[in-house]
Amino acid sequence: MTTPILRAQGLVKRVPTVEGELTILDGIDFTLPAGASLAVVGASGSGKTTLLGILAGLDLPTSGQVWLDGAEITSMSEEERARARANAVGFVFQTFQLIDSLTALENVMLPAELRGDGSARADAAEYLRRVGLEERVTHYPRQLSGGEQQRVAIARAFASRPSVLFADEPTGNLDTATGRRVADLLFDLNRESSATLVLVTHDKALAGRCEHVITLEAGRMAMPMARAAG
Amino acid sequence: MTLSLVLRLTARDWRAGELRLLLAALLVAVGTVSAISLFVDRLHRALLAESATFLAADAAISSSYEFPEAFREAARAADLGLAETIGFPSMVFAEKPGNFRSQLAGVKAVAEDYPLRGILRIADAPFGGAQVTRDTPERGEVWLDSRLFPALDVEPGDQVSVGYEKFTVRRALVSEPDRGGGLFAMGPRLLMHIDDVPATRVIQPGSRIDYRLLLAGDNQALQGVREAIEDQLRPNYRWISAREASPFIERAVGRAESFLLLGGLLAVLLAGIAVALGANRYAKRHFDHVGVLKTLGATPRSILTGYLGLLSLVGALGVALGLALGLLAHQGILIALGSFIPTELPLPGARPFLLGAITGLICLLAFAAPPLVALRRISPMRVIRRDLPGTTASTVATYGCAAAGALGLLVWYSGDVFLTFWLLIGGVGVSVVFAALALVLLRSGRTLGMQAGSGWRLALAGLQRRYRENTAQIVVFGFAIMLLLILLLVRTSLIDEWQAQIPVNTPNHFVLNVTPEEKDDVDALLRANADYEGPLFPMMRGRIVAVNGVDAAEFRRQRWAAGFRDDDDDDDDEGPSPDDIAPQQAEGEEEEEGEGRGRGGRGFGSRNLTFATELPENNVVVGGEWWDADSPERLVSLEDDYAQRRGFAVGDELSFDIGGLPMVATVSNLRRVEWDSLQPNFFVILSPGALEGFPATYMTSFHLPVEDKRFLNELIAAHPTITVIEIDAIIRQVQSIVDRVTGAVELVLYLVLASGALVLTASIQASRDQRMKEHALLRALGGTRRLIGGALAAEFAVLGAFAGIVAVIGAEVSVFSLETQVFDLGYTSRPWFWLVGPLFGAALIATVGVLATRRLVNTPPATVLREL
Repeated sequence: MTTPILRAQGLVKRVPTVEGELTILDGIDFTLPAGASLAVVGASGSGKTTLLGILAGLDLPTSGQVWLDGAEITSMSEEERARARANAVGFVFQTFQLIDSLTALENVMLPAELRGDGSARADAAEYLRRVGLEERVTHYPRQLSGGEQQRVAIARAFASRPSVLFADEPTGNLDTATGRRVADLLFDLNRESSATLVLVTHDKALAGRCEHVITLEAGRMAMPMARAAG
Repeated sequence: MTLSLVLRLTARDWRAGELRLLLAALLVAVGTVSAISLFVDRLHRALLAESATFLAADAAISSSYEFPEAFREAARAADLGLAETIGFPSMVFAEKPGNFRSQLAGVKAVAEDYPLRGILRIADAPFGGAQVTRDTPERGEVWLDSRLFPALDVEPGDQVSVGYEKFTVRRALVSEPDRGGGLFAMGPRLLMHIDDVPATRVIQPGSRIDYRLLLAGDNQALQGVREAIEDQLRPNYRWISAREASPFIERAVGRAESFLLLGGLLAVLLAGIAVALGANRYAKRHFDHVGVLKTLGATPRSILTGYLGLLSLVGALGVALGLALGLLAHQGILIALGSFIPTELPLPGARPFLLGAITGLICLLAFAAPPLVALRRISPMRVIRRDLPGTTASTVATYGCAAAGALGLLVWYSGDVFLTFWLLIGGVGVSVVFAALALVLLRSGRTLGMQAGSGWRLALAGLQRRYRENTAQIVVFGFAIMLLLILLLVRTSLIDEWQAQIPVNTPNHFVLNVTPEEKDDVDALLRANADYEGPLFPMMRGRIVAVNGVDAAEFRRQRWAAGFRDDDDDDDDEGPSPDDIAPQQAEGEEEEEGEGRGRGGRGFGSRNLTFATELPENNVVVGGEWWDADSPERLVSLEDDYAQRRGFAVGDELSFDIGGLPMVATVSNLRRVEWDSLQPNFFVILSPGALEGFPATYMTSFHLPVEDKRFLNELIAAHPTITVIEIDAIIRQVQSIVDRVTGAVELVLYLVLASGALVLTASIQASRDQRMKEHALLRALGGTRRLIGGALAAEFAVLGAFAGIVAVIGAEVSVFSLETQVFDLGYTSRPWFWLVGPLFGAALIATVGVLATRRLVNTPPATVLREL
């Protein structure tokens, strides 16, 4: 096995509710090698999104540790986790999450700008070309279709040259045909960049394109991380 | 975040219209404060310039002693303009074959540099057309008041004597700047050269003399000189600043200033609420942006610096534009007020601009910063979990900041802890009471709504559904309407009060020294030719020589030893009447600390005494009882303040010396006197029985329009020994000030109205997104545009009416405290406001609400649902 890029150990997440404490994640353990792809699947409310958030350093577990690119992000301050995300993480969301007031190009430039990277514009233009939107660089999100918006989001995710790309239901808001094209793009770019891909999805076909699968049931792993059948 | 990113985000947000409300609110806050303070600054300068003409200088030192050379040296060192005058009463004689005339005159001796401020007006012949002159009397000549010509039976070119010296009468003196201003000259004026005074030999030890050192220059230099000679001033020299020279004006301006700043403050607080609402809405709309930026690696610190950078940009723009707006608005006011403000005024200082800029800054920090600062705590998880709460801005921080900002502004503007305290207590109390009332009203509204038609049912259900927001909105609207009502009520009563003080026929002339023989004739002449109701008041000079059998000098020594330092020495004033007609309000200035002239060494000075059977109008007995009209006892009534300063109480036995004759009277009551009334008022009034047999002269006041002033000539020709004092110029000045202040007060009301409308718009904007979504859904479900429009109008009208009800309650309570505690006015109840308040609230909020939500109703539901 190659060097692990992402490792979770004994992750537990509990939240207080009016009816008492609710356990969302319970005892998640896995190790993912660099360059691999992982699908996290499970029914609604099984804890997929919470797990994604913790793995990406967006949230902290109640107990347990996460190592991302060799560093334990669960012991970092919010400030440090943000820097870790800026350096190593890319995101693609179900609802695209583009900034309405910025053009397609400016949205793609954003991660590099946040890092203070000078070559942001050229890189962003290149990635928009690679997702086939070179004609749409000056368009605002509301002027783009759903599929186009998700392509901008994918360009933005890869423009930051992440070690790990987290995708939360990336095709969930798209029709089947568009969804398939977007998924193709995601996997192609992932291969080209040798990034690690962590995907949360309902879509069995999409999960089947990943090398590894974790199935969650009520916050627990139904079985240890397995290589995908497909 | 990098600066370029901040700039780009700001530019985008601006284009998307998200910052407009914030900027507009900031503009109003900064613009209002700078316009008001610029205007007040100008008004001050204008009034100060006018006050200066009443003093003939920017400041003066007054004394019955000659000035030490150190005073002149200090003034010269500070590069101040310097002039000296000497004023004293003296008999003036004119002798022609077979005709010897004499008349008591108020002599003023001046040099070429007089006056430093204001102008002299003269005429070639008595009662002739006035012309402005820069000359002053040459040596050997005198200028006489027109009335002295018939009194002395002289013409220009004739000779008159003052003391041992003869002078040639050269011109008729129409007016000199410092004749009024609380320094009423005794008798008609004679103006002469200061170097001629020694030759007259009228100045002897013990003479009543007013030496004045007139000073002109900028305020700072004057203040410097005052401080430099402070130690030498007391107890014998009195510093008079231009403002102190016109006490009535000073008080009018003081009230106007309180009011204008209070009004300005209300406008700023309203704008502050709008800033807070604008910033909150902006922050809410940026929850997702921040979430995304964070997932992309933005650290909390960079989010914080980014949004603070954005806030600074908006703030800088708001302050710059606000100051420009304020400057423009104030220019507009100056143009609107036209001739009221002298055009040669120096440019306003930096203070108004500074005030505006700091207000903007405080508004930003206190009202806008908390929600934006809280953005740094938005969880990036929000991007994948939309159900997470957006804001983490703590309520304590938000309200604490706003309260601290509001409090800071309150204290800073009002400069008055009492006012601040009341407003603060009022603010907190009103919020709590308003919220409770609003909840009750909302709940009862829902019950009613169950039986109502569909439009109303929707409206009332909407109100109940968003009861938290609506309670807050009722509190905000209630506050806005309450502030408007307060301003309107206080303004109305202030203006009424001022105008009541100076009715059209306010007496503008006083006549003194009328002998008992002349009394009936003068009375008849006045009734026939002037606006005069009588009566003629008897008057005599007298001094208190003993208190309860203790010699006056000893009495004062004992009080001094007992630690009473507040009795002043202004008794020995300018002769018949002046202080009693319109006493100098600045008496407190004369409190003396040291063991000086009269301090224990001397008794009380002479005073004007009168007697009366009835309590005069504008007088209220505050201690003891007024006497029976036919009481044979010897009783005396004292002005309350006068008695307290000197340590006299009801029951004390005062011994008087009236023209060398002794008289003892018992203090029977103390009175409060309304000095602003411009009616003859007296510190000391005796019962008729007390003054029986004492020689008295008579005095009264009457109104005479400018065009009838030649009647004075006739009056004086018929009664050459009477003295007429003209105060019509002062009255005109006071009236013009009231007009000006009224204009300013109206301006403030408009500014507050603008701020109020801004708050309404801001709070409607705050609920706009939610409303849009609901209405789009309703329309998608088949609701007509009319139904939704009607429901919206009804919702806002009910909200407005509820806000109106709570506002009236708050306004009545606040106005009561303001009128009675701050402005010293009486409270008037206004039952009609209970109807007008809710109606006004409903109409105003329904109008603004319908206008602000018009787009919301007219946008196709598909567009709305897609956007949200």
